[in-house]
Amino acid sequence: MDSPTTNNHNHIHTHHLNGASTISQPSKKPKLLSSSFITPAEIHEEFSHHDPSVARINNGSFGCCPASVIAAQHRSQLHYLRQPDNFYFNELKKGILQSRTIIKDLVNAKHVDEISIVDNATTAAAIVLQHTAWSFHEGTFQKGDVVLMLHYAYGAVKKSMEAYVTRAGGHVIEVPLPFPVASNEEIVREFRKALERGKSEGKRIRLAVIDHVTSMPCVVIPVKELVQICREEGVEKVFIDAAHSIGCVDVDMEEIGADFYTSNLHKWFFCPPSIAFLYTRKIPKGGSELHHPVVSHEYGNGLAVESAWIGTRDYSAQLVVPAALEFVNRFQGGIEGIKKRNHDAVVEMGEMLAQSWGTHLGSPPDMCGSMIMVGLPTSLGIACDDDALGLRVHLREQFGVEVPIYYRPPRDGEVGCVTGYARISHQVYNKVDDYHKFRDAVNQLVNNVIFLKISLIDDSKYAEEI
Amino acid sequence: MDSPTTNNHNHIHTHHLNGASTISQPSKKPKLLSSSFITPAEIHEEFSHHDPSVARINNGSFGCCPASVIAAQHRSQLHYLRQPDNFYFNELKKGILQSRTIIKDLVNAKHVDEISIVDNATTAAAIVLQHTAWSFHEGTFQKGDVVLMLHYAYGAVKKSMEAYVTRAGGHVIEVPLPFPVASNEEIVREFRKALERGKSEGKRIRLAVIDHVTSMPCVVIPVKELVQICREEGVEKVFIDAAHSIGCVDVDMEEIGADFYTSNLHKWFFCPPSIAFLYTRKIPKGGSELHHPVVSHEYGNGLAVESAWIGTRDYSAQLVVPAALEFVNRFQGGIEGIKKRNHDAVVEMGEMLAQSWGTHLGSPPDMCGSMIMVGLPTSLGIACDDDALGLRVHLREQFGVEVPIYYRPPRDGEVGCVTGYARISHQVYNKVDDYHKFRDAVNQLVNNVSKSFKVVL
Repeated sequence: MDSPTTNNHNHIHTHHLNGASTISQPSKKPKLLSSSFITPAEIHEEFSHHDPSVARINNGSFGCCPASVIAAQHRSQLHYLRQPDNFYFNELKKGILQSRTIIKDLVNAKHVDEISIVDNATTAAAIVLQHTAWSFHEGTFQKGDVVLMLHYAYGAVKKSMEAYVTRAGGHVIEVPLPFPVASNEEIVREFRKALERGKSEGKRIRLAVIDHVTSMPCVVIPVKELVQICREEGVEKVFIDAAHSIGCVDVDMEEIGADFYTSNLHKWFFCPPSIAFLYTRKIPKGGSELHHPVVSHEYGNGLAVESAWIGTRDYSAQLVVPAALEFVNRFQGGIEGIKKRNHDAVVEMGEMLAQSWGTHLGSPPDMCGSMIMVGLPTSLGIACDDDALGLRVHLREQFGVEVPIYYRPPRDGEVGCVTGYARISHQVYNKVDDYHKFRDAVNQLVNNVIFLKISLIDDSKYAEEI
Repeated sequence: MDSPTTNNHNHIHTHHLNGASTISQPSKKPKLLSSSFITPAEIHEEFSHHDPSVARINNGSFGCCPASVIAAQHRSQLHYLRQPDNFYFNELKKGILQSRTIIKDLVNAKHVDEISIVDNATTAAAIVLQHTAWSFHEGTFQKGDVVLMLHYAYGAVKKSMEAYVTRAGGHVIEVPLPFPVASNEEIVREFRKALERGKSEGKRIRLAVIDHVTSMPCVVIPVKELVQICREEGVEKVFIDAAHSIGCVDVDMEEIGADFYTSNLHKWFFCPPSIAFLYTRKIPKGGSELHHPVVSHEYGNGLAVESAWIGTRDYSAQLVVPAALEFVNRFQGGIEGIKKRNHDAVVEMGEMLAQSWGTHLGSPPDMCGSMIMVGLPTSLGIACDDDALGLRVHLREQFGVEVPIYYRPPRDGEVGCVTGYARISHQVYNKVDDYHKFRDAVNQLVNNVSKSFKVVL
């Protein structure tokens, strides 16, 4: 955990996993920088709208938004409603540009033109893949040319590949990945094999879609290395789907070197739903432009300008990035400090759970950000996706624990292996008790040896004693 | 204006253009239905967040949202943030379905499957036109096949045509329309001519995109008649872009008979930004499906289901349709009553302005809904689109009047005609003073112009 702040060693400190310290006696020394950081009480207040009966350890799915940013959003919404014409003509564009500029600096992009704001990573994927479809249609790509993606790609992205690439005549190749995974080398090996498969059919590999942090199971992918391999092997473009990344892992456009990169800000950057950025590396004039699928009068003015006006709608979530940044900077070390403490905490909690349950982590600590996969006791008998979902529902309804569960099918020859994993997360609002609650819930389920299986297909419930 | 409610003729009534009456002395009779309607004070409260210094006569562009619906939206937003997983798994789909069902009943669609909820009409247009692009790409349509649209189609829709139809090899034909316009026949005549042009090149007319209420200049188009003509003339599909229609004109899917129809609910149906519906007439199995361009795991489950989940985002505007309906039903006659009173009021105010300025209306009253085009004095010298925008900005900044201005280029041979029109609107929050403020602002500008003209001389 955090080491005590050295300047106040005469006082009793209680530590929270997020690194804010409570000084239980007033300091006699002059106010130092540390006392200007957000306090645990303030953090609690900022997230007092969260359901207090829920151990909320699934920040990965929907993120979170502190009260001060929600308030900023409401102010923005009301300001628009007060005089929408004036807002549209005189304020909206400036606000979006300000948000884009902040993001550009956060992710180390060269030009603000490279940063477009869209609703979410799902939208960004549609933008990139629709462009791929047009390339097939207009003959820039040949039928059968390859688009690569990871087997663990997000469900929506897989469907987008079907809707835009397969439908347009492209050939989609999936890279199988091991899980549990022990090292980056395992991932790189599979990736290289898939590239060979793609090239062996004599077609061009037009696009590689690579997750920065896979969703389920959750693993941090060595994207910088994979992008380099793509360049060496003649892959035309690389699109990093980093839905989770900003605020969770390191995000540096120059460092990673991809052509397209997207991440949500409502997951780990405290923005309200919903906002994501799509980074598009500047290409020489005459290159084929990406377009937002919702076409407005801004069509043709560049993706960033197109995305900033897709008809009348509520842009307030996109306008409160300054408020989110302000919130982040109330923490020691800003977003870097938050990331580090979240990582350290989730690893510690993951190891605590794995030890209590007699299982293991799904990946080594250096392959996780603010989330980690923890094996569940085999006696829970998770044998399919429905079992995993059933357990998730049961944990929510009977134990007040919100955590996504992953079913990991046994490989050929595997017997008695762990088939269920929980993806736990840590964010600034979490407390150790959240994980104890989860630990105890699972131990209780194991001890009771009654596992309520919920059949989702039949919409019926039955219990069986194991 | 409204006639006094007959049951309380012993009391003094003040009338607002929206039809709510204030009874100035307490009624000695038992509470009748009329006293349960929203009062002027309550309406004022519901829109107290509007900038009071602005005469807001441009409801057409961005609509409006009453405080009670904003509050419902905030509650929905906070409810989601409280426990988003539970919301996603157990509440979202039901809420969207409830909204879709209300809309289905409002617009007389046969099946709730036919109603999808999307962000706005711009998105709906992209959905329909992307489908058109795929049809060209997959050979269902042949290169050069025709898509028809009105010359006064909304700017975003024109760009969408370029992005999806022209780019995919389709041929776009625009129907020129007269403005000012005097009758439906003028529009029908031009439409028929354009159909002939489309067919004469030997190609199929695959799609006609027709506005129900054009944006600028604002005219109600006889869509039912045009749809019938399309059917007679072998146009394959008809898409009605009715961004303004719901809450502004009559909207009946069975009556109008189009294949696709979209309208925003945040313009005239008191929903917060933003929400629109896209109606897609049920087709026999095997027909080509429309898809939402933002593809989620729901891909292939039908447009309505796809549109109800396009990734994590704020769906609250789509979930407060019940609250908007509740607001509407606080008015006498519900949405029908609101529509009628808005229409009568905007015509009355339009005629008042035209008379004061010595100009005319851009269309007859029966070709307008809750908006009307009013000619501006020629001495203002509006000679291009920039002049029109400049006047709009000037009215906003110097006079506190928000109203869009349209530049109408002179036709060949026309001299000294009206080249500028204001599109005024009326919604329940408007007062007669709003239009007086506009009238006086323009008259002042006219006086200044003539003074400066004299100075120049």
